[in-house]
Amino acid sequence: MYEFAPQITPIIDHIIDSVRSFRPEIAISIAFIGTIFCSLFADRYWKQASFSVFLIGLLAAGYLTYTQNTENIPVFFDMLRIDTFSQYARLIILFAVTIIGLYIQQYGSYQLPKKRLGDIYSILLATTLGLHLLTLTTHWIMAFIAVEMVSIGSYVLVAYFAQNKKESEAAMKYVLFGSTCAAFMLYGLSLLYGFTGSLDFSSIAQMKGLIAAPMVLSTVALLFVFVGIGFKLGFVPFHVWTPDVYEGAPTPITAFLATVPKVGAIVLFSRLILAWTASPFYFGEVTLHFLCFVAIVTMLIGNLVALRQQNIKRLLAYSSVGHTGFLLLAVLSYVHHEPEVLFFYLATYTLMNLAVFGFIMILEKQTGSAYLADYAGLGKRFPLVFTGLTFAGISLVGLPPTAGFVGKLLVFTSIFDIYQTLDQSLYLYLLIVGVLTSVISLFYYLKIPLYGFLRQASSGTIMDLSNRISCPIYGIALFFTVLLLVFGLFPDLLLDFFRLP
Amino acid sequence: MGFLSILIFLPLLAALVMLLLPKSAAGSAKYLALAATAGQLLLTGYLYVHFDTAQAGINDVNSFQYVEQLSWIRLQIGADKLLEIDYFLGLDGLSLPLIVLSAVVMLMAIGASWNITKSVKGYFALLMLLNTAVMGVFCALDFFLFYVFYEVMLLPLYFLIGIWGGVRREYAAVKFFIYTLLGSVFMLLVIVGLYFSVTNPATGANTFNMLHMMNPANYGEESFFGWVRNFHEIFGIPARLIGFAILFIAFAIKVPIVPLHTWLPDAHVEAPTPVSIILAGILLKVGGYGILRICIGIFPDMAALSNWWLGLIGVISILYGAFNALAQKDLKRLIAYSSVSHMGFVLLGIATLTTEGISGAMFQMISHGFLSAALFFLVGVIYDRVHDRNIYNFRGLASHMPRYTVFVAIAFFASLGLPGFSAFIGEAFVIIGAFNSESVGTGLPRWMAVGGSIGILLSAVYFLWTLQRMFFGQTRFKGGEEWATALTDVTVREQTILYPALALAIILGIMPSLVFTPLNESVMRLVSVVSSFL
Repeated sequence: MYEFAPQITPIIDHIIDSVRSFRPEIAISIAFIGTIFCSLFADRYWKQASFSVFLIGLLAAGYLTYTQNTENIPVFFDMLRIDTFSQYARLIILFAVTIIGLYIQQYGSYQLPKKRLGDIYSILLATTLGLHLLTLTTHWIMAFIAVEMVSIGSYVLVAYFAQNKKESEAAMKYVLFGSTCAAFMLYGLSLLYGFTGSLDFSSIAQMKGLIAAPMVLSTVALLFVFVGIGFKLGFVPFHVWTPDVYEGAPTPITAFLATVPKVGAIVLFSRLILAWTASPFYFGEVTLHFLCFVAIVTMLIGNLVALRQQNIKRLLAYSSVGHTGFLLLAVLSYVHHEPEVLFFYLATYTLMNLAVFGFIMILEKQTGSAYLADYAGLGKRFPLVFTGLTFAGISLVGLPPTAGFVGKLLVFTSIFDIYQTLDQSLYLYLLIVGVLTSVISLFYYLKIPLYGFLRQASSGTIMDLSNRISCPIYGIALFFTVLLLVFGLFPDLLLDFFRLP
Repeated sequence: MGFLSILIFLPLLAALVMLLLPKSAAGSAKYLALAATAGQLLLTGYLYVHFDTAQAGINDVNSFQYVEQLSWIRLQIGADKLLEIDYFLGLDGLSLPLIVLSAVVMLMAIGASWNITKSVKGYFALLMLLNTAVMGVFCALDFFLFYVFYEVMLLPLYFLIGIWGGVRREYAAVKFFIYTLLGSVFMLLVIVGLYFSVTNPATGANTFNMLHMMNPANYGEESFFGWVRNFHEIFGIPARLIGFAILFIAFAIKVPIVPLHTWLPDAHVEAPTPVSIILAGILLKVGGYGILRICIGIFPDMAALSNWWLGLIGVISILYGAFNALAQKDLKRLIAYSSVSHMGFVLLGIATLTTEGISGAMFQMISHGFLSAALFFLVGVIYDRVHDRNIYNFRGLASHMPRYTVFVAIAFFASLGLPGFSAFIGEAFVIIGAFNSESVGTGLPRWMAVGGSIGILLSAVYFLWTLQRMFFGQTRFKGGEEWATALTDVTVREQTILYPALALAIILGIMPSLVFTPLNESVMRLVSVVSSFL
């Protein structure tokens, strides 16, 4: 006991110092508790109480993140690591969550039967906290806890509005699939710990342990760990939950699932890849080949299956699978020391998805359907919505003059550079598949204008629709569409922001 | 803001104004479009008159005219890479005739769409967006900027075919889009590769500047598309050859060459008349222009290496297009295939790598530009009246629509290469070039010139045979009396569109120097660049 006594002071000092670096997350936690209280006590007097606490909490967290000192400080005994990389990722996450909160608030206002929304904000905040941790850590236990926080939060979000069988089924599938993947990941982690005696994947100890461990077994352990991350990212073959869940979940939640968890998971994955591929040993190669193989397969399967979809939410689910494959390419460019390329793509991907889902929410509200066939001929009635949707779709394909094009160009540039320096045909295949799948994706994104503008509504189904759309979502989605154009023409605006010092 | 920026963005401005018009004033959209295009025509006229024909352009920025260069995007990527993208426009002998042509054809298209009633505002706004993109493609000297304009062309066309087109419009629109995109995304990879290989000598940064890409000195040693000590191979083929081939295929889809031409008949048949006019009159020329400016300009060594194959493809396109045209029953399809055949001459001319051949190819592009526009417009005239264009459903139109017949006859004779008309000059120069090629040492065998001549013969066959089938003989229509009353002779509006086009065909046929003079220096420069690699 006595030998610990002199260490207590530095430990407490370290914890106090750490808390200072943990302020954004503390702000989220306070907001989390605040929203719970508000939904219990204040919401009945003022309906928007919990929503305002939610917003204030996120804005405060955003401010604190923005002004944070990011000199790669070890926090909480190296469990967390505050650096610029995580700072930018968290800013993107906070921004997206704020917008999704707005979407949910709107969704709740017209969704029938009415359901109290207070709780959903607190769940969203808890998930955000998990995502923050995901971007901050290089420690496996922390990563696992963060993945679980995000997953459990997402299960509840998907099930929150469930009224019919389809929605419950989606939630159930999600839970079952998610927990299986988590179990795999945990098993993999325990194996890794057994081999290496270290749980920090960037530590020397783990490297040494992996080098010493039997190759086959540790490869299996690595693959198990990737199962967990793969589930969050939704890459092939762990993507099978996406279409059902995306279709069954309420649209704002789908927007959430399609963007935010991916940002967090990609950041963790990038750190992992960076740490491991730097080593010349077999596990670096295993990771790299796994990454390339998965990227190719994911891009192909996501985009090819999307061709057959008739429901726009399912379509976007597969398209987001395809984009995950492309994000993995962007990870490679991060490994190549070009983090701003990854961030630019993440930011534009978030913007595009938020815009698209915003428009879909409007269409869903107006028509009550998410089937493309029901949108036939609506382009004349809602010209701006469909123009915006088409433009965002074009951006997802990656055609100029949109931000999506610049994002893809930067990623291609980066991969090409790697190809040129290393001269491995693997990277050439990545480029070719990336380019080909862009063409394939055009087919299905074109379905939106195809139904909206080119097809006529069949005479029997002329719906009694109000032509007026007046809600904040409309404004937000249009604003994002304009942003996509602006960032497409002047990408420096966004890239300068993401430049690491 | 220079002349070229105004030329490019004037229609875009018009499009924005159109979108802000209230519903009640939607009808005025067409006047706006007309005003913008007429403004463009005046501007291009001014540029043409003040163009200094002694300046060559091609690979020397100082001899480009009306140059505008602004720094647009400067991205610091990673530690040592600077992405340099300029807003860089300029005119030389290759682009000047084409922008004049674009303005003329665009004006014809506006005239042809005067009676559009379906979503007028959207229609003209898309037409103006297309106009902006086309002008941009012809003026851009930065590869990134070029690519942006090149891709922006696709979307308006997709909608123009898809919304205002015929029965199978969806199929045709998607096919067109996918075909062109497939070519251009691979082009993107080549652009990226070029960007890595080329540095701006002034700043040391990697650049998208096309003129820098044309100077072998700017390529890094051992860089991917570099000239010196380049060991890069893709699937066993040298990198520079692959780069050339991909760029060539991307533009060849646009030209179109056989066997990448199958989108063209579908797109033409389904497109409304004005869009057909633009497709044939302007967009096919983007392909030819791209091959000249970019494929040959940036990869002259590979052009010298592979021109035999280009020539072969050209001859095949000429003959295959002509034979297909012979077999068509749909008048518009016939003209679409005749376009394939005539654009084959452009490729053959380019492949000769001689001054005569390339000048002929350029001339053929200009001449085919307004002649095919006139032809498609003429098809539109009868299609507007009876909604049918099957050749066998008409007979003896000559006595029923005498004025129309005169126009058709002039357009047909001009297109089949009768001396005195512009197409003759173009085709003749191409064939002269092809004949000379062997003696100058550029490597095209003489039988290719013979193949081209047979193409001219075949074009006479299908045009004259069509004239005979539709216009001569006893007047008889499939629709009987109803058609007979519907088929009124050409109106004043239609005549005002046709007169200038056919007049141009005759004027250029008599005074080809109008095109050759501004062209000459640039073509000579291009040929001199290539000939050092032969």
